[in-house]
Amino acid sequence: MAQRRSTRAKAVPPPIQLTGLGVQYDLRLSKKRKLRDTVLRDGRHSQSGKFWALRDVDFRVETGESVAVIGPNGAGKSTMLQVLAGILEPSVGKVEVRGKIATLLQLGAGFDPELNARENTLLVGEFLGIPHKEMVRRVPAILEFAGLGEFADAEVRTYSSGMRARLGFSVATSVEPDVLLLDEVLSTGDAAFIEKSRGRITELMKRARAIVFVTHDLDSAAAICTRAIELEGGRIVADGPAKRVIAAYKKKMAKRATTASRPDLAARRGS
Amino acid sequence: MSTHSTELTVGRPRRGTIGTIFESLASLAERRRLVWYLTMSEIRNKGANSVLGNVWWFLDPALQLFVYFLLVSVIFQQAQPAILLFLGSAILPWKWFSAALASATTSVRGREQVMRQIAFPHIVLPASSVFASVANFAFALVPLGALYLLYPDRLTPWALAVLPVAAVQFLWTVPVVIMLSAVAVFFRDVSNFIPHGLRIWFYLSPALFPLEKLQALGDQYPWFGFFVTINPFTWLFSGYRDALYYGRSPQWEVLGILALASIPATLLSVYLFRRVSPLFVKVL
Repeated sequence: MAQRRSTRAKAVPPPIQLTGLGVQYDLRLSKKRKLRDTVLRDGRHSQSGKFWALRDVDFRVETGESVAVIGPNGAGKSTMLQVLAGILEPSVGKVEVRGKIATLLQLGAGFDPELNARENTLLVGEFLGIPHKEMVRRVPAILEFAGLGEFADAEVRTYSSGMRARLGFSVATSVEPDVLLLDEVLSTGDAAFIEKSRGRITELMKRARAIVFVTHDLDSAAAICTRAIELEGGRIVADGPAKRVIAAYKKKMAKRATTASRPDLAARRGS
Repeated sequence: MSTHSTELTVGRPRRGTIGTIFESLASLAERRRLVWYLTMSEIRNKGANSVLGNVWWFLDPALQLFVYFLLVSVIFQQAQPAILLFLGSAILPWKWFSAALASATTSVRGREQVMRQIAFPHIVLPASSVFASVANFAFALVPLGALYLLYPDRLTPWALAVLPVAAVQFLWTVPVVIMLSAVAVFFRDVSNFIPHGLRIWFYLSPALFPLEKLQALGDQYPWFGFFVTINPFTWLFSGYRDALYYGRSPQWEVLGILALASIPATLLSVYLFRRVSPLFVKVL
């Protein structure tokens, strides 16, 4: 029995596997003050101006798992999502993601303001690498879902930010992914659209082999996901069933909040 | 379950030099439609938001030609028959080159947003800048052609040789734009320097005066003579002028050497671009 399972595992590799992964930023290359500030605050920078956004990450997602990635700001959550999406290449270690990927990071990336909804849909489809014919076939459904009405023929620059996000969401979720990467996009547009987009995401989650969900909304993460990992300072500090990891994380954060509001306690802890 | 793909989509192992180049070129071929969309968008956005819109495509080169005509013919009183055609056959190709370089400095940098959100082969960005810049020259051929109304006796079948000469220029535009688009990500100062660098380069090329003048200078200062020889625009401008102005055959051997030399330069630029492109998202 055990043998049979292992041969099966060999035949179908896990959808996501990170091995000894590290992502390093070289701050001498980037003059952005914002990043530097973040770094100076948590002391992950070395003398040379290098900074590890992720370090020694070993992480494997099996078929059927949905993983919530939690942790404080600047812990490396978004970096991890970008690595999984193939946007960032690891500095050390290995990333392997198998199957079609859909990323719901920020919406509306790649739009050309001078083009209309249909043309932009095709443009973003090309950025995503979806075959043209398939994209042409999907256009009506995408426009329908975005609910743009007569604005579908107008240039995107004339759109409200809500309309733009709706179109972005429709395009991004039009692929049927094997691996779904989500970064808190559930709050798009008005109440009616939020309802509709929740439905679409639930549908996609049902069909995907693996889901990675970055969020600060711990309650919905506990409800949606089967497993959670907690990142801190670029490393995985907790990994396990979603409900347990999230409960422990909540407790930790609550404790931290009280320590932070009581400087006398913080001083004692430091000494 | 059988519909699911288990093909490796992220994390393909890094290849060697030749593999890297091949992979980049293959991705360009695969994403040719994206290159086309981006090219058209760049061309269209140039005419957008101005009163005259697309008329600028013709007006811009015509006005520039007029400015240099004033400078050379009226102020410096340089005697040259069919001066407008003489100047136009160098200035208009140069305008194409300088426009290509200007758009190279923003072609990667300006797409920061989409690069952060979607994984795609970044090489499509400079590639589309190269193609979009061709529009500059294509439209400039209209005012250039109109000059033959002033000098009808200068028009010979050799004028068609302008196309192969332009092809050689195109071949050289490719590596220069690819390299520059990557450099501009790391050093924003590049876009400040480019206009000045271009201007110097322009004056050191036989654009406003005949090649003989530069060569005379080269005889005096050997290092300058060397520069004149290795400057591709010495030979490109001569080629354009042979075809359009003198009505004679361009020096095919020189153009052939220039074309061949562009191949290693292009392969090198594609390789270097691919090697530094993982840094783009981190730096931008």
